[in-house]
Amino acid sequence: MSTHHHHEIPNLRTLLGSRRGGGTRGRGRGRGPPGSSHEGNEAARDNAVRNTDQDAAGSRVSCVKLGYLLDPYAQFFAIQPSTRRLPLLNRGTYVRTSAIDLLVDRFMTIAPDAPKQIVSLGAGTDTRFFRLRDKYPEATIIYHEIDFPANTTAKLNSIQRHAQLYSKLRTTPPSSPLALESMASSYHSPTYNIHALDLRTLAIFEDGQLPSLPNLDPSTPTLILSEMCLVYLQASVVSKILSAFLDRYVPAPTPISLVLYEPILPNDAFGRTMISNLSTRDIHLPTLATYPKLADERLRLKSQGFSNGFKAADTDFIWREWVSEDEKERVAGLEMLDELEELELLLRHYCIAWGWRDGGEGGLFTTAWKDTRQQEEG
Amino acid sequence: MSSGGSDLDKAIAQLRACRPIPENQVREVCYKARELLIEEGNVVTVDAPVTICGDIHGQFHDLMELFRVGGDVPDTNYLFMGDFVDRGFYSLESFLLLLCLKVRYPDRITLIRGNHESRQITTVYGFYDECLRKYGSANVWRHCCEVFDYLALGALVIGASTTLTPTDGPPAPTNTTQLAPLDSEIEIETLNAANEIMYRYARDSSQASNSQQPSTQSPSASSPTIPTPSNIGPAGTSATSSSSGSPGTPGGAILCVHGGLSPLIDTIDKIRLLDRKQEVPHEGAMCDLLWSDPDEIDGWGLSPRGAGFLFGADIVKCFNYKNDLSLIARAHQLVMEGFKEMFESSIVTVWSAPNYCYRCGNVAAILELEEDGSNAGFVRRSNGERGAGAGGWILGSNVGPNTSNRHSSPGAGNGNGNGNANRLGALTDSVPQRRRDGPGRRYRVFEAAPQDSRGMPAKKPVADYFL
Repeated sequence: MSTHHHHEIPNLRTLLGSRRGGGTRGRGRGRGPPGSSHEGNEAARDNAVRNTDQDAAGSRVSCVKLGYLLDPYAQFFAIQPSTRRLPLLNRGTYVRTSAIDLLVDRFMTIAPDAPKQIVSLGAGTDTRFFRLRDKYPEATIIYHEIDFPANTTAKLNSIQRHAQLYSKLRTTPPSSPLALESMASSYHSPTYNIHALDLRTLAIFEDGQLPSLPNLDPSTPTLILSEMCLVYLQASVVSKILSAFLDRYVPAPTPISLVLYEPILPNDAFGRTMISNLSTRDIHLPTLATYPKLADERLRLKSQGFSNGFKAADTDFIWREWVSEDEKERVAGLEMLDELEELELLLRHYCIAWGWRDGGEGGLFTTAWKDTRQQEEG
Repeated sequence: MSSGGSDLDKAIAQLRACRPIPENQVREVCYKARELLIEEGNVVTVDAPVTICGDIHGQFHDLMELFRVGGDVPDTNYLFMGDFVDRGFYSLESFLLLLCLKVRYPDRITLIRGNHESRQITTVYGFYDECLRKYGSANVWRHCCEVFDYLALGALVIGASTTLTPTDGPPAPTNTTQLAPLDSEIEIETLNAANEIMYRYARDSSQASNSQQPSTQSPSASSPTIPTPSNIGPAGTSATSSSSGSPGTPGGAILCVHGGLSPLIDTIDKIRLLDRKQEVPHEGAMCDLLWSDPDEIDGWGLSPRGAGFLFGADIVKCFNYKNDLSLIARAHQLVMEGFKEMFESSIVTVWSAPNYCYRCGNVAAILELEEDGSNAGFVRRSNGERGAGAGGWILGSNVGPNTSNRHSSPGAGNGNGNGNANRLGALTDSVPQRRRDGPGRRYRVFEAAPQDSRGMPAKKPVADYFL
């Protein structure tokens, strides 16, 4: 998904507000003392959020317009006219999106009649739910998105404005906009749920009561998706969030899995430059330092409790090994790509990691992903 | 800007400060540049000493760093292998500065065409947008594109020494290997931007890893550090006796081209026959020269770039032999270390855009080739004369060393030249011999210009990531 991180970054930064005075991106604003000027920066931050979110949505539209991705819904979340992005970025967006599509598809098509649950963390303007509805019209999907209220409100707004979107939430015609208040930030239904929630609250309630996630079914096989989301949180917080799902929301023996998309290799020249560049934008990736390599990602999945499988591959490997030759040829033919070395460099610094706990009998995820090759090295 | 002179110098000064020059001045410079370039062949002959540079890509401040590290124009002769524009934020200033320098010092700087010097590519990769942004119209972009069509497709460096005069610098703190002794025949030196020696390999050194020659050490390898006397005979010199012990073995010429070879081109003469004054075609020999890449394959392969080809070691070695080349220098591919020699040093990639796109974290390099017989590579020629058409690099064209003053133009060696075409024709029938010693190669490695030297806090480069 092209950079829908953009909107979640500033929001996630508010989580770190006790350490930093969430400054506006790129203005070189100094770090404040704990809790400083939190309120004062709210407007500027929201503005930055809106801008980057639209930038991200436009970027995705660019990818769709050029034929990399099939996504008739991306345009509804883009307000500004999209500008054509560099072939390098289009290709990267393609690899990332199609890699996650592949894992999700194999999940959806295993035992096709059984209900499936997907929880998308920091979903932003992601269109995956709508695409899945089209692709698997007969399937029982319980889809959850969790994001900050500013993002979920904007998303619900877009959905309400476009019949192509809200009609997907209706099972029976005639279709009409959802019955929601004008500034609603959450939406709940048996199939699609948008939870306006600060993810970190899932880590705070250690022994107490967890926030309610309506319609989250504890016994439906569940895939948790984190596309550039958890990487912005501290490793200890991430671990608690994941434990909340593994132990509380979707306890054993329900099969549960996690699919991560995030950067790796922070310590080589490219990685160091990335960290430095992002920090000038006040973007920090705490877990990148904790899990620098593919092996660390695997180990982390395993120790988290995804004990039946813990795999990882960088996106360069995924482009080479997961994408069929025909498809490679098709994609390569869309644009002349002159940034090959740079693309490879970039792709080697992002990974997909996927781990699962099958719980009871059947080995649902083991079966679904048995042919999904991981990278041996790294 | 009547007749160059002070107006041109003013334009150069303005561009050096990274300030665009007015549109009418651009038009005039481009016109003058075209007049110059139209006289150049598709393959320009360039005399050593020369400093060979790879992609710049609009990283103006890094180009300034390059000049700081490599010496300023006209003190240093430069050969830029294309891709001046696109990607970086200052394509316009970078290209126009190089172009003004070309007009001002035509014999001191050679510009050849890269695949980004093209209308189509610049509309995708930034130069077109930059011109629109800075001038409000596409006129300047159009003027520049007309110049692109006249840029040479390659260059042939002749008269390069096969050994380097050792640099008088301290070892770099990072140095972990034994530096070759000063009295050995220095094949490769790598210096950092502080002029410290990162490593130094003698021609017979086993440490030279991928650049090792398939040769035995010469018994006469005790060649003096300061050769006597200076030899200006094109290529051939008694100081290059390392490989077979046969004095007088000439080093071949060095072909410089942006991308690489083409299956349609087996001799340099075939490059000369192309009609280059056009937009870069989507296919064909001209396209290949600007787009191809060496790769660890046999023969030819399809390029994943969608233009040009991949070519293997056998192709390079055969081409070099047939054309009496000792080395192909090319750019086009990002290499993290700034340069990369391949195929037993028969081809080298030189990359001159540090921290490419403000994102890649790579260092950059330039390649210095010394004048044959020079005993002090840092003493530059003081004139710009060149022995155009000198065939001195041709196999067997020289037997003993010509003694002459090193300060004289290599053109003095013209007496040996028989014309490249004739000799090349004769060559195709000759019996295969061992491959040539490459030229002595001094790589100067440098990092991106310090951020605060850019003086552009308002437009800080923002690199994109998949976030």
